[in-house]
Amino acid sequence: MTPAADPVYLDHAATTPVREEVFEAMKPFYGPRFGNPSSTHRWGREARAALDEARERVGRCLGARPDEICFTSGGTEGDNLAILGAWRALKAKGRTAVVASPIEHKAILGAVHQAAREGAEERILGITPEGVVDRKSFDDLVDDSVAVCSTMWVNNEIGTIQPVPELAAKAKERGALFHTDAVQAFGKIQIDAQKQQFDFLTISGHKIGAPKGIGALFIRRGTSLEPLMHGGTQDRGRRPGTENVAAAVGLARAAELTLAECEAHCARLRKLRERLEAGILAKIPDAVIHGRGADRAPHIVNISVPGTDSESLLMALDLRGIAASGGSACQSGSISPSHVLSAIGVRPDLAGAAIRMSLGSLTTDHCIDRVIEVFPALVAKARQRTTAQ
Amino acid sequence: MAKERVLVAMSGGVDSSVAAGLLVEQGYDVVGATMKLFCHGDDVPDRPCCSLDSVNDARRVCEQLGIPHYVLNLETKFGHDVVDNFVEEYARGRTPIPCVRCNTFTKFRDFLKKADSIDAQWIATGHYARVVDGELRRGVDENKDQTYFLWGIDRAVLSRMILPVGMLDKARTRARAHSMGLEVIAEKPESQEICFVPDGNYTRILEQRLPADAPALSRGPIMTSSGTIVGEHNGFARYTIGQRRGVPGGFPHPMYVIGIRPTNRAVVIGTRDELMGSGVVAREVNWLAAAPSVGHRVSVRVRHRALLALAEIVRLDSDEIELALDEPVSAITPGQSMVLYDGERVLGGGFIEASRRQRVALPVLAA
Repeated sequence: MTPAADPVYLDHAATTPVREEVFEAMKPFYGPRFGNPSSTHRWGREARAALDEARERVGRCLGARPDEICFTSGGTEGDNLAILGAWRALKAKGRTAVVASPIEHKAILGAVHQAAREGAEERILGITPEGVVDRKSFDDLVDDSVAVCSTMWVNNEIGTIQPVPELAAKAKERGALFHTDAVQAFGKIQIDAQKQQFDFLTISGHKIGAPKGIGALFIRRGTSLEPLMHGGTQDRGRRPGTENVAAAVGLARAAELTLAECEAHCARLRKLRERLEAGILAKIPDAVIHGRGADRAPHIVNISVPGTDSESLLMALDLRGIAASGGSACQSGSISPSHVLSAIGVRPDLAGAAIRMSLGSLTTDHCIDRVIEVFPALVAKARQRTTAQ
Repeated sequence: MAKERVLVAMSGGVDSSVAAGLLVEQGYDVVGATMKLFCHGDDVPDRPCCSLDSVNDARRVCEQLGIPHYVLNLETKFGHDVVDNFVEEYARGRTPIPCVRCNTFTKFRDFLKKADSIDAQWIATGHYARVVDGELRRGVDENKDQTYFLWGIDRAVLSRMILPVGMLDKARTRARAHSMGLEVIAEKPESQEICFVPDGNYTRILEQRLPADAPALSRGPIMTSSGTIVGEHNGFARYTIGQRRGVPGGFPHPMYVIGIRPTNRAVVIGTRDELMGSGVVAREVNWLAAAPSVGHRVSVRVRHRALLALAEIVRLDSDEIELALDEPVSAITPGQSMVLYDGERVLGGGFIEASRRQRVALPVLAA
């Protein structure tokens, strides 16, 4: 068996460990405060109070009012609820197009394709080689026939930041609803629903130290939305089903902690990432860091080394105890070239070599040292083999 | 000394799972990997993509054995080397044997490169065959022997191969699976189908991949060997040598497909006697031992699980070989493998090009 001495976890964009404080905050709801928030008795009231409070606290973290927060099962549900919910609510009013960038998460692209199957006109925005939405194409495509448009705030694969406040304002001028997937942005970018004009915003718990299976969708007051599920009246009928009280409390705690630490955390990650990138480039001068020409969130590096392939490198890294990720993993766990890198015009051979390293709470200077040592060594071996063939 | 690393190709079945377990017991540094070779479409929500259940089984076995598991995407290369060829062969009126090309190109070439990339000196599979002293031998379970599919691999690879279940018979393999606690897969049924044709309906793949008016899928005559047209068929790719289904009746003897002639789209039928061949010609010859020479006597297998036949090499060019069979053999089929043995050693093999009705005798040379 392979000794994974000194494991280095560089996949925080995939998921993060549940924080101790979050775990503690959730515990009572797996114990004595187990009630159903819809019940009218004391157990129910206790659970309901915690749920309402969690909603207020998550709302405060986003500059939103409590009724604008809808708890979901995570990013995918939030994205689907926003896109399909908005499209289904607006199609009767003559707004028949749905717009998204080509570098969205599959949760958005999948929902947009579903809307198209239901009769929507699908419009895909242009993107610059740096990985930022092309403003001209946004102007061209977002017109008064658009029901909803979606642009992710921070791209999950390359970390580029989109000009969301500006795009949201433009969409508003044209009467189109605007959604942003802020799953990777929360805690890295200032989000304020009072100042920024997005109508929907998705966050996910497990990217910020809360458990998997909880997230929230911000829905601006008065926004039309058709629910995805039908049944009870929980969450104003927008999301029927008994609420996951413990996880909602966990999300609230994680969101507060993340915001409180945001500045220091981001500064720390930025320094670590600079060192990581410089260290790798010093040893592999022809390595390509995707999206480097754009503003990037501080926790993501996506790097391709010519003459290597992600699948082999990831396997070799893992066997040396370093966890990173490739393009998007399919259900089987096999890796396909990333649609994000293809969309920004990366050559197929380079896209097939992409390694995403994402930094976070578990990342230390020591982790960076290890990667700077191990990664170039593995790359050198791989390239030797390529040239030998 | 550091333990030597071995990359095991794991299908999620009992043979490769036990192979991995045996290597763990023997103290190797074992890494498991499942090859993703094809995808029936990942946009269909109800049908899991990429033989997902097999991948999950392999992953669970690895977890239980305490070894890492990866999924390797070899879809593009497999599609090109194996699936495309499968379709082309049927289009040419032959009956392909994709498992041979998968072993030659996918498992023992592309997969081997993945082993290189993790510094694994060895690769292992769950094949019933053995490597002894750098030579390939039949597995001890004659019923399960898979050397018929392995003759095409690069001879140099033999020195890096471990085939741990080649020493076992199937019953003992299952018993070992139980004793290792691998209950998930221990009683999994055998897979007899071609992996990318899971329902056995290979013509559907041809219909998907060939143009609608492809000769191989278009109507043509059914005729006897003397040229009499006795019926019509709906595409010669739906026929294989030795087949009786779809052959018209009304003859005094049972009739079989004895040949396919793509040039005039004909399916030729004949009696059991006409199905017999006394000689066989093969191409794309590959040797896994020192190449024999003309006059050499060998055992030969021209069909999976057929009895071994005795034969003599009567012609041997750089890429083509011809054998004279001591006794006639039924249904020698172009596209299938011909594998040569010396005892239980695999000498090599080739793809069958043609069968000969008449036995070719070697001229007796003066000493």
